[in-house]
Amino acid sequence: MKVTFPHLGNVYIAAKALFQGLGIECVIPPLSNKAALEIGSLYSPEEICLPFKIQLGNYIQSIEQGADTVIITGSCGPCRFGEYGEMQMNILRKLGYDVKFIVADSPSDIGIRELFKRIGYMTAYSNKNKIQKIKSLFDAIKIIELMDSVEGEARYKSGFELRKGECKRLLNKCKSEAFNAESPGEMIEVIQHYNEKIKNVEFDAQKNPIKVAVIGEIYTIIEPFSNLYIEDRLMEMGVSTKRRLTPSWWVKNTALSPLGLNSMDIKKASKDYMALCIGGHARECIGEAVLAKEDGFDGAIQIFPLGCMPEIVSKAILPKISKDLGLPIMTLVVDEMTGEAGYLTRVEAFIDLLERRREDVLSRC
Amino acid sequence: MFYLGVDVGSVSTDIVLIDENMNVIEKMYLKTKGKPIKVIQEGLKKLNEKYDKKQIKSSGVTGSGRHIAATIIGADVIKNEITAHAVAALNLDKEVKTIIEIGGQDSKIITLNNGVITDFAMNTVCAAGTGSFLDRQAERLDIPIEKFGEYALKANTSIRIAGRCAVFAESDMIHKQQLGYSEADIIRGLCEALVRNYLNNVAKGKEIKPKVFFQGGVAANIGMKDAFERELGFKIYVPEHYNMMGAIGVAILAKRAFEKTGESKFKGLSLAESTFISSSFDCYDCPNNCEIVKITEDNKEIGCFGDRCGKWSGRINEKVL
Repeated sequence: MKVTFPHLGNVYIAAKALFQGLGIECVIPPLSNKAALEIGSLYSPEEICLPFKIQLGNYIQSIEQGADTVIITGSCGPCRFGEYGEMQMNILRKLGYDVKFIVADSPSDIGIRELFKRIGYMTAYSNKNKIQKIKSLFDAIKIIELMDSVEGEARYKSGFELRKGECKRLLNKCKSEAFNAESPGEMIEVIQHYNEKIKNVEFDAQKNPIKVAVIGEIYTIIEPFSNLYIEDRLMEMGVSTKRRLTPSWWVKNTALSPLGLNSMDIKKASKDYMALCIGGHARECIGEAVLAKEDGFDGAIQIFPLGCMPEIVSKAILPKISKDLGLPIMTLVVDEMTGEAGYLTRVEAFIDLLERRREDVLSRC
Repeated sequence: MFYLGVDVGSVSTDIVLIDENMNVIEKMYLKTKGKPIKVIQEGLKKLNEKYDKKQIKSSGVTGSGRHIAATIIGADVIKNEITAHAVAALNLDKEVKTIIEIGGQDSKIITLNNGVITDFAMNTVCAAGTGSFLDRQAERLDIPIEKFGEYALKANTSIRIAGRCAVFAESDMIHKQQLGYSEADIIRGLCEALVRNYLNNVAKGKEIKPKVFFQGGVAANIGMKDAFERELGFKIYVPEHYNMMGAIGVAILAKRAFEKTGESKFKGLSLAESTFISSSFDCYDCPNNCEIVKITEDNKEIGCFGDRCGKWSGRINEKVL
C-alpha cells in the first residue's frame, strides 16, 4: 500500500512523520502548483469549488508516482465538501485509476466504530505494535501543532522584526529542514529549535505594524497556492497577520465538537450575528471578524473560493460587522485565475486604506 | 518643473505631466493593445520632443501594469489605482465622498470621509459591465465608442437587458435586436443594466453619498452617467480629466515624494531609443513552477517578476546592494 493525501498548508510535514512512524509507504504530491490545478480543472465538474480541483490534481500527480490509496478527511456538513470524497472516487474510477479511498469522517457523523474500521484498513498495513502506532499519531499531532505555532509566530512577528525578512527566512528554513528530517523524533527537535529561534527574533520597539486577520474558507486560507500566497505577500509588506483556522485548530475542533466544547471563544463572538452553524466555517468567519476587533487588529481579509455557499452567507453579514465595529473588511474571491496583478492591487489598496485610516485617527486625537 | 504620472491599464496607458501647482500640462491617452512596454516608450518619445529630462523632477506609476512600468522608467512611486484615483479626486475637490471608477477591466467604488479613504470595493472574478464589454458592443453594433452614450440619450424608452453576466447580456441584446427594438433603446437598456449590476455587485453594502465623482474611461459615456443619475437620484460629476485620474493621482504622489526626499530614480525621456525585450519562462527549481518574466534593456537585465522565492526578482537589488 502506498498512501497519498491532498495538500493543506503544512500538513504534509506531519503526514510524512505519521506514515514514517507507522511504517507505511507514502507518496507526497508535489506542492500544489499550476500543473495540479490544470489537471484538476480538466477532470472536475466545471462548477465545483476550487479546493476540489486542486485536490484532484494532487491525487493524480501522486498516483503517477505510484500511490494507490487516498486518505482524506470528510464531512457530512451542509456544504459541498461533504460530496468531495464520493465525487473524487467516482472521477478517478472513470479515469481508470484503481485507487482506494479512506475517508476519515468525524465520529459524530459516522460513529466511532466506523471511523476505527476505516482507520483499521490503513493500519493493517503497518507492522508496528499498538503503542508505536499511537505514539506516531501523537508525534504527528505534536508536529502539526508546533508547525502551526512556528508559522503563526513568524507571520505575526514579521511586522515587528528588526531585520527585514528574518521571520520569513526562518519559517522557510524550518519547513524545509523539518521535511528533510530523518525521523519523526528528529523532526520535532528541528521544529522546536526554530520555534525557539522565532520566539527570540529581535523586535523593533519603534514599529507599530498594520495587523490583519485572515478569515474565510478554511482550505483557501490555509493552502497558500489557492490564495496566491497572500500571507507571504503581506509579510513582505511588513504587515502582521493572524489566522485562527489552522490544521491543528481543525484537529482540536473536530475532537471537541461531539462534546460541544469546540472553539468556545469563536462561537461566543459570533453569537450576535450568526448563532447557528450553517455549514463550512461561516460561523467561524463571523466570530473571527468580531475577535479581530477585540484583539486590536486594523482590519480583516476574507478569502473564499467562487461559489462557496457558507462564505457567501458570511460575506453578506460582514458589512454589518464592519459598520458596527469600525473594522474594515475586504473580501477576496479566488478561483482558477493565477494572474496576480488585480489581486495584489486590492491587497495593496486595502493595506493603504488601513494605514491612512490609522494616521487619520491619530491626527484627530 | 514637472512631475510625470503613468497609468498602465488594461485598455489604455495614460501619461500626464503636472506642474508645481498640480495643473495638467500634458496628457496622452494611448491604447495599451497588450504591449505596455512599447506604449510607454512611444509616449515618452513624444514627451522627449518637447521636454528635457532635467525638467522632470520625479515620476510615479499606477495601473495593473505598474510594476513593469516602474522597472522601465525608474519610477519613484508605485501605487495601486485606488489610492491614485482618490488622491486625484481629492486634489480637485475636498468634498468628494464617493468615487465611481469604471475602467477597461476593473470597476471600483471608493468611499471617502474627510479626505481619507474609508472603504473601497472592486469587481471580483468577473469583468462584466466594464469598458471592454462596452467597447465590444459598440464594435458589434458598428457605432463608434465615443458616440455610444449619445445613442442612449436618444432613446424613448429603455429595454430591459440582463446585466449580471456579459455573455448573457450580449445574447439578451441580440435577441431583443432581432425582435426589432431600436438601437437607441437597447443601448439605454444596456447602460441601465450595467449600472444596476454595478450597484448590486461592486457597490453592494456601500453607502453612496454625494458628492459623487465618476471617473475612468467609461465616464466618457454620457449614457452611463445619465443612467447613474437616474438610479441614484442626484447629480454626479465627471471631472475634466476623467480618464487620466489615475495618472494624475500618481503624479501628485510623485511630487510629494520628491518634496520629501529631494531625489529621483527617473531614468529620463530617452528610453525610446533603448530596446526592451521581455521574455518569460517557467522556473522548475521547485514544485511551485513559477512563470518568470524577464525584462532586458539593451541586453542588460533590468528586472524579473513572477517568482515566489525572490531568487529572480531579488537579483537586481542584490547586485545594487
